[in-house]
Amino acid sequence: MIKLETAHIEEVRGIRKLDIDFRKEKFAISGPNGSGKSGVIDAIEFGLTGQIGRLTGRGTGGLSVAEHGPHVDKIRFPDASFVRLQVYLTELDKSVTITRKISTPKKPKIEPVDDDVMAALAEVADHPEIALSRRDILRFILVEPTKRSEEIQTILKLDEIGQTRSTLNTTQNRLQRDLNAAKAAVDSSRTALQTHLQIATLRSGDVLAAVNQRRALLGLAEIAEMTADTKLDAGLSSAAKIPEFNKRSALRDLGALSDAARGFPTLAAGEARAIAADLGRLEDDPSLLAALQRHTFIEKGLDLVDGAECPLCDTEWEDEQHLRNHLTAKLLKSEEARTLQQRLLDKGAAISREIVRVTGLLAPVHKLSEAQGSADFPRLLSRWRADIGELKDKLATVDGLMVLKDRLTTGWLGIPNAFSASLKTLTETVEAKPDQTATIDAQTFLTTAQLRLGDYREARRKSEAAEIALNTAKAAYTAYCIVMDDELNALYEDVQEDFSKYYRIINEDDESEFTARLTPSEGKLDFDVNFYERGLFPPGAFHSEGHQDGMGVCLYLALMKRLFGDRFTFALLDDVVMSVDAGHRYQFCKLLKTEFPDTQFIITTHDRLWAEQMKSARLITRRTSLAFHGWAIDTGPLVESNLDIWDDIAASLAKGKVEVAAAALRHHLEYVSRHLADELGATVQFRADGNYELGDLLPPVLARMKYLLGKAADAAQSWGNNELRDSIAARRTALSNATGTQNVEQWVVNRAVHYNEWANFGRSDFEPVVAAFKELLRCFVCPTCESWFHITPPRGAPEALRCPCAATNLNLMAKVVTTARLLPFR
Amino acid sequence: MPTLQQQISEKFLSKLAGCGEVDAAKIEKLRVLLSENKRAKAEDFVKIFATPAGEDLK
Repeated sequence: MIKLETAHIEEVRGIRKLDIDFRKEKFAISGPNGSGKSGVIDAIEFGLTGQIGRLTGRGTGGLSVAEHGPHVDKIRFPDASFVRLQVYLTELDKSVTITRKISTPKKPKIEPVDDDVMAALAEVADHPEIALSRRDILRFILVEPTKRSEEIQTILKLDEIGQTRSTLNTTQNRLQRDLNAAKAAVDSSRTALQTHLQIATLRSGDVLAAVNQRRALLGLAEIAEMTADTKLDAGLSSAAKIPEFNKRSALRDLGALSDAARGFPTLAAGEARAIAADLGRLEDDPSLLAALQRHTFIEKGLDLVDGAECPLCDTEWEDEQHLRNHLTAKLLKSEEARTLQQRLLDKGAAISREIVRVTGLLAPVHKLSEAQGSADFPRLLSRWRADIGELKDKLATVDGLMVLKDRLTTGWLGIPNAFSASLKTLTETVEAKPDQTATIDAQTFLTTAQLRLGDYREARRKSEAAEIALNTAKAAYTAYCIVMDDELNALYEDVQEDFSKYYRIINEDDESEFTARLTPSEGKLDFDVNFYERGLFPPGAFHSEGHQDGMGVCLYLALMKRLFGDRFTFALLDDVVMSVDAGHRYQFCKLLKTEFPDTQFIITTHDRLWAEQMKSARLITRRTSLAFHGWAIDTGPLVESNLDIWDDIAASLAKGKVEVAAAALRHHLEYVSRHLADELGATVQFRADGNYELGDLLPPVLARMKYLLGKAADAAQSWGNNELRDSIAARRTALSNATGTQNVEQWVVNRAVHYNEWANFGRSDFEPVVAAFKELLRCFVCPTCESWFHITPPRGAPEALRCPCAATNLNLMAKVVTTARLLPFR
Repeated sequence: MPTLQQQISEKFLSKLAGCGEVDAAKIEKLRVLLSENKRAKAEDFVKIFATPAGEDLK
């Protein structure tokens, strides 16, 4: 995967222009709420994936990257909004540059354009879960089991697996319906054949007895055995000349239809009533109807998804995956509707089977009526067969059933008014025909029998094929479910183990025996955690909000480890640790350091103290942290320790914006005083609320620096290094002069404690103040590396005053002069 | 490193081959479908399962 080297962000979200050197290290960004920290996270996420989770997740209706990604003043000029990231690809050992504009999020400029680079970045872009916000934590912890399952499956890219399972299930349902239809066709053709042969069963002996009787009459050889190739009319000299009409067979067909017709008015009446009742429920419950309509609609839509554009409303999504997740979530919400849909379709299928049977009875009579030259009956039958054929199609969909509601309650079969009379007339016509000679009767009997046997065999063949297909689908579905369950159980066991371990690391003082249990079941993922060994409970039951936050991060880390393994090298944690209480913060840092030594976390927090604790715990350093002290719409985040602070202040003054310059100076002095108090070990009066003002910090810092320089001068002298002593003395003098200059401005400085008064000054009033503090702070900075001085060791008696580049390294330890005491020789 | 989806697909096909209810030609078609198309549709599976066993004459 990746590590982030640098970021250049311009006109994105709340940021105007910002460069950050992430150094491929764990990095922290702190600052008060609204100072622009999350804007940095958004920009990095956008640079890497082309998406901004904050604008595309739930509850973000009406928001989009295109419209709300640019700085508010650049909405009409999205081309000006872009992010340029220098990214290190760990597996390729390559550094690449990604430049992505808000106006063309899917077309980043990548250099170099190597195939392996493009593939690696495509993989990153496919993993928006590298960014975790506190809002995301709730997705894992405080949600119902079905939603948690969905969320975790999404983050682990398991939704594809669930979808394959679901598709295999749909497949077997579809093949089951095909088999039912094929079996109905077999029944229908069997009935037609048995009716013709006048036999009660379709046993080989019964068939041959009926057939051989006619064959004997015609002098044809007896058929001894029924095989798959047996032709019942084999041996007839010229089948073409034999009339198709067989009076007795025709009368049997007419009789069979006439008998069945008596039951037509009540045919499948129970199923029809049940469908009508369910349709009535839908009419009475508009929300259920809406859910069902959405279900069918969305189901269709999901099936048609092919790209990031919604096939239902043409909305352009971030990518196809987001669109699919959105539609799948909507489908799950209409579970009751789904059950109702299944019941409706099952009943519809039962009526369809009856239609197949009726059609089987109508077909020979239809043919007969045409052969007999009836005028209207063939047309009537033709229309009726077409009508119930269409009915069969409608019974296969909920939309179709809804159209049929009235028909289902008033005689769904739609028996034509003239049917009975026409059937009777045709029967009388056939009965009135002279009896056929025994020879003709036998010949037509055999040819009709062969035709119907052929139909029956074909129906059987199709039914058997449908059965094989269904059995294959069932075997596949079962195998997939078993394998999927086994793999998911193993996965959740891994995740559960890692999660428990991580949580124990954070809470080793009070929950060292902590365990958790993830229990997957059909579409659900139950999550229970041990509460002080009193049993397993849902996370929200007894644990505090801070503990729940900790759990969310731990579960996220466990999931990411399972997803990426050793390739988990990068994550954005946006204010996710805010509720971790002070007692557990060092442990949290320990978790990130020890369990994820090669992962670059970019962490934001609005708690300044938290950021300092990360430094103390050596999770980050001064170079791998950044603090914002505020935000302004014109400037974006105001960066503490900003090397360009004086230029910024001068620019503000040049524009006559004294209040902006004053605020920048105020925050910079606050930051520097706090930082130097810590780095130099100044003695500051303790405040329990940690709310130190400039007046609390700056005087002790000045006093401490003078003391340290004095100590350094004394040490140099003790070692006989007069040159160094003089140089230090010069520094001390410069500091005194600067302090003196500052004192000249004391009337302003005093008011500096009540900062807002600065805003009332004019430019000429304020410029000397700025110059005085600039000169003063220069005494604390190494001229070579421009970093602040610090003492070593950080705690205890100081031994040296240094800067990071070691250009300044003043020894504070004076030479110890000892007087040797000679002991008497023994 | 194979994804979980790929791992499950592989084990699924092996299990299917072992159960003896699905012929080798169908399993091969399933392998191609699952590897080429992450979002296989029901009609794709129906087509494979409804194909008569064996292969066409060459």
